[in-house]
Amino acid sequence: VSELRFNELRGEEVVYAIHRQDRTFLPDREHCPLDPTRPGKPQTEIPFPAFEIAVFENRFPAFEAPQGAAEVIVYTDKHEGSLATLSPQRAEALMWVWRHRYAELGARADVRYVLIFENRGVEVGVTLHHPHGQVYAYPFLPPVPERELAADERLGGCAVCALTREELTHRTRLVYESEEVVSYVPYAARWAYEAHVVVRSHRASLLECEAGELRSLAAALQALVRGYDSLFQRSFPYVMVVHQAPTSSVPEGPALAGHVHVEFYPPLRAAQKLKYLAGSEQGAGTFIADTVPEESAAALREAIALVA
Amino acid sequence: MAWETTEPPARDGPDTADVARREHAREDAREERTGPVAITRHRKDDGRLLILYRRTGDQQP
Repeated sequence: VSELRFNELRGEEVVYAIHRQDRTFLPDREHCPLDPTRPGKPQTEIPFPAFEIAVFENRFPAFEAPQGAAEVIVYTDKHEGSLATLSPQRAEALMWVWRHRYAELGARADVRYVLIFENRGVEVGVTLHHPHGQVYAYPFLPPVPERELAADERLGGCAVCALTREELTHRTRLVYESEEVVSYVPYAARWAYEAHVVVRSHRASLLECEAGELRSLAAALQALVRGYDSLFQRSFPYVMVVHQAPTSSVPEGPALAGHVHVEFYPPLRAAQKLKYLAGSEQGAGTFIADTVPEESAAALREAIALVA
Repeated sequence: MAWETTEPPARDGPDTADVARREHAREDAREERTGPVAITRHRKDDGRLLILYRRTGDQQP
């Protein structure tokens, strides 16, 4: 069971999940726990010989009822591949899975925020390459969504809508557009190749999205990841996070605040150079960037177009 | 971030109890829908929730 302690100096919760210290680390290829269970082979986390998308409760959860939840989302029963290599139909189905987990976990009284994310690459600490993501259901509102709500208040409306309008006006940082979704490197990106994938219409969460918007979102995410992989001709590491409205604001109806979008935080600042969070980032909370968003966007736009 | 689930204890070869558990999981399953995706819920041996999602091809609100 995890313990929450409030860090007064930082004004934020810290989660102590000491049981996670014993979680499986670097299993070999033959013992991937996300593979399907083959006849005659040891049982994996998914005791079926084949599946499309699977979700299960994390065996070593950072959060668990009655104080949240932690789940794993396995994109495919194929060990190789990535979000980019899924069929368009599977990627679209994944959007519905995200939507379902947001709805179900968000409806719980002990959950105040549902975070869907994917960590990709050893550079961000991943030790298993089977395509998968995770869901954390927080029993409190974490600092980042809290700041997003503060941005809405500061700008007098939906901040994501306002920022996206700006990007669509200036166009220098756009990297991908479709009728329903737009992707860009934000004006004040913290990471060299940070990108935001935004549903154009104001939708607080995936629950409010229409079927066509979910399909377009999946296509945009796949286009971006393919572009990332093309950029330096290597598997591009990233942390991908789905931002949605806090569920505590939607007890029985549509959310009042928030705008669903997906943010990517890639640690690479060049083909072989990583951005580290060092003195300024950790001690002052201020990112020092080595690149200009407009130049990163141009390179990324070209890379996406190249593999479209 | 390091991998966050563990592999189950390794066993040698086919296991009739293992087969029985899988059948039991199937018997417990109940199907729902989310849009074009069918949902089947199961309970793992240790009680953890396992949900399988399968695209059906047709759209349903």
